[in-house]
Amino acid sequence: MQAVTLYRALLRCYPAAFRDEYGEQMLLAFTDQLHDAPGGVRRAAVLTGAARDALAVAPQEHWHVFLQDLRYALRTMAARPGFTAVAILSLALGIGANTALFSLWNGVLRAPLPGVQRPEELVMLTDPAAAGAFRGRWDGRTDGARDWVTYREFEELRDSSGIFASVMASQSSLALWQARVDTGLEEVRGRLVSGAYFQVLGANPVAGRVFTADADRVETPEAVISYSFWQRRFGGRDDVIGRTLTIRNATLSIVGVMAPPFVGETSGQLPDLWVPLRMQLRVMPGSDYLHEAPPDKAMWLHLFGRLKPGVTMAEAQARANAVLQANLIAFYGVAATAERRAEYLDQRLEISQASRGASYNRAELSGALTALLVGVGVLLLIACANLANLLLARGTARRAEMTLRLSLGARRGRLMRQLVTESLVLAVAGGLAAAVVAAALHRALVVMLAEADPAFTLSFTFDTPIALVLAGCTFAAALLFGLLPAWQATATDASSALKEMGRGAVGSPMRARSGRLLVGLQLALSLPLLVGAGLLARTAYNVQRIDLGLHVENLLIARVDLRATIDDAARRDAIRQALLDRIRQAPGVRSATFSQLGLFTGAFSTRTVDVEGYTPSTAHEPETTFDVVGPGYFTTVGTRLVQGRDIQESDTQATPKICVVNETFAGQFFARRNPIGLRVTVIDNAQKTPCLVVGVAQDARTRSPKEAVQPRIFVPGAQQPAGVASPTFLVRAQSDAPIAAAVRQAIAEVDANAPLTSIRTARERLAPLTAQDRAIARLALAFGVVALALAAIGLYGVLSFGVARRTSEIAVRIALGARPSRVVAMILGETAGVVALGVLAGGALAYAASRYIAGVLFRVEPRDPATFAGAVAVLLAVAAAAAYVPARRASKLEPVAALRAE
Amino acid sequence: MAKDIAPHSFLPLPASVFHILIALADRDRHGYSIMQDVAARTDGTVQLSAGTLYSSIRRMLDQELIEELSESPDPSSTDERRRYYRLTRFGRRVAAAEVARLNALVRQARATGLVPEN
Repeated sequence: MQAVTLYRALLRCYPAAFRDEYGEQMLLAFTDQLHDAPGGVRRAAVLTGAARDALAVAPQEHWHVFLQDLRYALRTMAARPGFTAVAILSLALGIGANTALFSLWNGVLRAPLPGVQRPEELVMLTDPAAAGAFRGRWDGRTDGARDWVTYREFEELRDSSGIFASVMASQSSLALWQARVDTGLEEVRGRLVSGAYFQVLGANPVAGRVFTADADRVETPEAVISYSFWQRRFGGRDDVIGRTLTIRNATLSIVGVMAPPFVGETSGQLPDLWVPLRMQLRVMPGSDYLHEAPPDKAMWLHLFGRLKPGVTMAEAQARANAVLQANLIAFYGVAATAERRAEYLDQRLEISQASRGASYNRAELSGALTALLVGVGVLLLIACANLANLLLARGTARRAEMTLRLSLGARRGRLMRQLVTESLVLAVAGGLAAAVVAAALHRALVVMLAEADPAFTLSFTFDTPIALVLAGCTFAAALLFGLLPAWQATATDASSALKEMGRGAVGSPMRARSGRLLVGLQLALSLPLLVGAGLLARTAYNVQRIDLGLHVENLLIARVDLRATIDDAARRDAIRQALLDRIRQAPGVRSATFSQLGLFTGAFSTRTVDVEGYTPSTAHEPETTFDVVGPGYFTTVGTRLVQGRDIQESDTQATPKICVVNETFAGQFFARRNPIGLRVTVIDNAQKTPCLVVGVAQDARTRSPKEAVQPRIFVPGAQQPAGVASPTFLVRAQSDAPIAAAVRQAIAEVDANAPLTSIRTARERLAPLTAQDRAIARLALAFGVVALALAAIGLYGVLSFGVARRTSEIAVRIALGARPSRVVAMILGETAGVVALGVLAGGALAYAASRYIAGVLFRVEPRDPATFAGAVAVLLAVAAAAAYVPARRASKLEPVAALRAE
Repeated sequence: MAKDIAPHSFLPLPASVFHILIALADRDRHGYSIMQDVAARTDGTVQLSAGTLYSSIRRMLDQELIEELSESPDPSSTDERRRYYRLTRFGRRVAAAEVARLNALVRQARATGLVPEN
């Protein structure tokens, strides 16, 4: 009889309904078969035949049941279009938001470089997060790890055997060029790269060819363009190969077009074109970044490669550092004292796996994106809880049907399966719509992030991880919102249901309890989102409202690069002075000055200083940030002088050298002494320039609002022998009327060919620096509002249901003389418990979670009591409003009419 | 519902369904009897197993090709648990349509000389 037991087990493969109907018959037939098949071998054949049969037929039967449930689900959905639309819409938004944010999170933080072959083999020797350049002497003052390499270092590493199978270098920041294509000027983003760039990345062009190794030896006027630039500028025409474009002093011939997903070695950035490194002096005239002239190094390149077979990361790093050390010893060997030499030689390259490429924003965005991803996850949970609540209410309405079917012998599992299928159909419809929502939302998010970094771009690709997340969210959502209501709708026995109906109540107390629990959960989940939104909003506000130490309004910033057109320093100074004089006379201009660094450019310059009466406490020489400025700088920029005077026209080569320091400088180097009249010696290479402090200026944030103010020294441009090659003119307007056109005109009048590289208001310059905080705060606020709205709807629904369920009880109370206020209090009292529970649980959750966003907050504590109190207050107010409507309706019950209706 | 549907819409019939229709043509049978009849008529080359049989029966009941009898047609039957099935008039029409279809095919095969006339 073992065979029969086995067959019984096999029957479990079939759907329950089929088994119920035919299981016994099948068992009978099977026993007959066994009976008629004497002999062990024949019996075994019968059993294996049955097993094969079950494998073939059971899936068909399951599919049949599923189709039945599907038809049923579609009928029910069509019968309630309102509910169906709300459910699909909220799921589409919830799942879509999760998918979009995941796509962004994955793209920025996790995904390997697109269009690159075997990205896991790539390594880099520079800092992936560093974009820009450093010109000067890099000593080991930080941790000694290099952000970039110089061109010479790249050459030496490339040519040393025993490290890389292939290696390339690329400009770490994206260059913005005015390119002349045909007759029109066009702004393009480009990147200088070494000859083997595309080969190392393993990227092939869709048309033409890539650069050859020759491009590293001689100036090769070629360009490879991106697919999107090809489409945008050349309409995707084949004759693009061989056409030329002009950038500054170079006429480049287009030799190839890259395939679409390829963006290069830096994720989140898509250059329009790539140009050989050797062309640097032609396309970026003015400074030579290809040759080293002691004691300054021009560090600006990322270095990527694929290791030689058998070489480990550690070996590669050790060998690369040996190459670097040899270079450094030769380079600094003669120039420095023994003590300084040790500092200069304390530099090293760190190797890292580079499948994700370099990324300027990765580190910066990681905290915010992860927090937002968790946020949308919670939002989806809240949306699911809400749908579960709606389904619970529907389950109550369908109780009669379920009771009837159960009493007619349907299995509970069968009914649950049917109800869950219904949820699944809703979720799948929502999930399909979510794919569209995700693509649109992803684009919107990228646009928002691009406000902070115009070079940022990331396309939405529907790849495997994205599809998995979309499908995962869909099925998780279906189970989350479908299971509980299905369980409750079928948890019924005929007698109790009949009793309830007899009593005139709709729905069971158990159902009401589940509903309240779900609302409690929604409230608890909403609170962390509200707190997060509050903290991020305050961060954005703080960043916006921070005292910059200068007046941003009505200030124009215009940068003119004189290096390209004029070689002689004295002539440059003369032109600069002429420009300044002419700008000052332009209509609408109150005052004008210049600065080497400009404002909010991110530019940075440091000097070693020797301060009178200050003994350095560490082995490092004292260092300060440094700017060369024009007369009236502080007055024009709007920075208050705490002590002493501004830099004046009268400070010239002929007068004693002077300087102004900021408060941080004064605090650090002068302590409690009065700095005015004391001497600071600025050390630039071997050159020492003593100057007298004539003023102390208020601290100003000239790079970005969030920066920590560093010591800074300002020296007059007129007293600098080398002058200011690319001055940034700072122009204060008389009113808020725009003066850009007038300033542009003034510059053109002095020198029609003066390369005006940018002209922006300080406000415009500042906007990108605060944009990311604003974008994230806006998103978080949107999440918070949606979460709150969903929780409010949930609460309202549950209470309305509670009132409906107890209509007769309330009517009797009113008939017996209960005052309306008493009834309102009763209903609100019922709510108080669940709200209190939600707030407590949510508060604890928020308290525990808030430290995870500490990294993106600015000048607000992650557990800021005011923000917490505010979030709780908002939640309570909304909960009270949502509860009051049903409570008031209950108190307005007309007892006679209500009881008669029962 | 199935009666509103033209018999042709069921064609070609799955082999198991056609075999069951043939088995039920001369008398009402229970499941195992159908299995035995099919095996006997095909000299054992077609062995319906219980899963295939009842899956087909489920579908044929839905399509109203067959019906279940409320009581055993064989008063001498000892086993009360067995369920018996009967061909419906509609089932007969569908079977006839399938036979006509197969006949036409056979005629065409002969006319083209694919198989010899007998």
